Amino acid sequence: MISIKGINGNLVFNFLPGNFEDYIRFLTQKFSSNPRLFAGSKVVFRGEGLNFLSHEEIAALQKLCLDYGMVLNNNPSSLEKGAGQDVIIYRNIRSGQKIFSEGSVIVWGNVHESAEIIAARDIIILGKLEGIVHAGFYGDKNSIVFALQMAPGQIRIADKFSRAPADYTPKDYPEIAYLEEDTICIKRYVPQENLARLNS
Amino acid sequence: MNNSENNGSQVIVVTSGKGGVGKTTTVANVSCALARMGYKVAVMDLDIGLKKLDLILGLENRVIYDIVQVIEGECTLKQALVKDKRFNHLYMLPAAQTRNKDDITPEQVKALCDEMRKDFHFIFIDCPAGIEQGFRNAISAADKAIVVTNPEVSAVRDADRIIGMLESAQFKDIKLIINRIRMDMVKSGNMLSIEDLLEHLCIELLGVVPEDKNVVVSTNKGEPIILNEKSAAAIAFNNIARRIAGEKVEIPDFSENSSFWSRIKTLFSR
Repeated sequence: MISIKGINGNLVFNFLPGNFEDYIRFLTQKFSSNPRLFAGSKVVFRGEGLNFLSHEEIAALQKLCLDYGMVLNNNPSSLEKGAGQDVIIYRNIRSGQKIFSEGSVIVWGNVHESAEIIAARDIIILGKLEGIVHAGFYGDKNSIVFALQMAPGQIRIADKFSRAPADYTPKDYPEIAYLEEDTICIKRYVPQENLARLNS
Repeated sequence: MNNSENNGSQVIVVTSGKGGVGKTTTVANVSCALARMGYKVAVMDLDIGLKKLDLILGLENRVIYDIVQVIEGECTLKQALVKDKRFNHLYMLPAAQTRNKDDITPEQVKALCDEMRKDFHFIFIDCPAGIEQGFRNAISAADKAIVVTNPEVSAVRDADRIIGMLESAQFKDIKLIINRIRMDMVKSGNMLSIEDLLEHLCIELLGVVPEDKNVVVSTNKGEPIILNEKSAAAIAFNNIARRIAGEKVEIPDFSENSSFWSRIKTLFSR
């Protein structure tokens, strides 16, 4: 009906053919189930479903988004790849410190326990990751998390999250976390296969 | 002395984030040790409303004026400084017990420290627990910071937070004291080791103070533990003072034997 995708810090609502009542019901249910995920996001409407709606109906859909704290993006050029500003940090991120990026984040250092990194796209830690990371914050399910040593309290990718098992022992090789069928998977980083996945 | 800035005087804040890890005990003992070595030392209690430094130094009955009264102009700095009863070169500026942390500002603390720099080699600031106004007051005037932590996860998380805040405040010289470590427990794997703490916090180690029940006794008596020559904690605090003064003092390898006393015994049995 409506597919929601995060692209460069925007939430793109792709309207497949359908009727107005169903759109309203679908979005209301989506928004109310996870208001924090949506609030503050930039929204772009797209898709051929829009062609069958009146101006009033589109305005009503937009108002629904505004009511849940979203922002309408009237500048869809920011959908182009790389529009979000990447952040590169050359130090350790300590407890209580929070890094946010509309693009990807690269940290040359460790991310300590109870530090937070949130990015619209990928998170790459060239050090030990012990804190909380959220890649694909706006819902981009292709986002990944990479760390030289992966020992996070929690990993979130798009709207999924997972936490380390209680008996988890960190590996001494680099690992990558990604979404596969809505489950967060972590595996050893192997350049060839992971690059193939990232390019897809 | 190896410090160039501000006519050679150093303002050092002792902080931790978490309460009860031994900030005030560290300030009291290190400052006494430095005063005994002949340096002119001032200690400033900024835990306004919850003061303890006067008790630990055993000077509670000699307090007449406090820091808030100095700042508000009710008395002069000279009148408020309490001279220590044991060391001629040690002075304490007491906190006000009936006021609170919002009654002074970082700028006022800075001005006060600048006034004191000309008379003292070392000015120690006893920082309150927490990260609010009291913390901001305490770090405003300092050139260097000492972070005190215990080998337990709650204290380490707070220390990490504090180090982050100090780094954001442009502190370049931040050193760590690990207080109340029990090597027998580290050995049996029930306590974080020195290596664990350093790996996590990534800052330079200034000293390690072993758990020592004599500290409670001396605190209750209002006598610094460094006056007790037999205490393991006293030796550790003395070493810390010497390192602050610029001496090279090895950090002993506590892990060789389970306790300080067994190390002493092996020393004599050689």
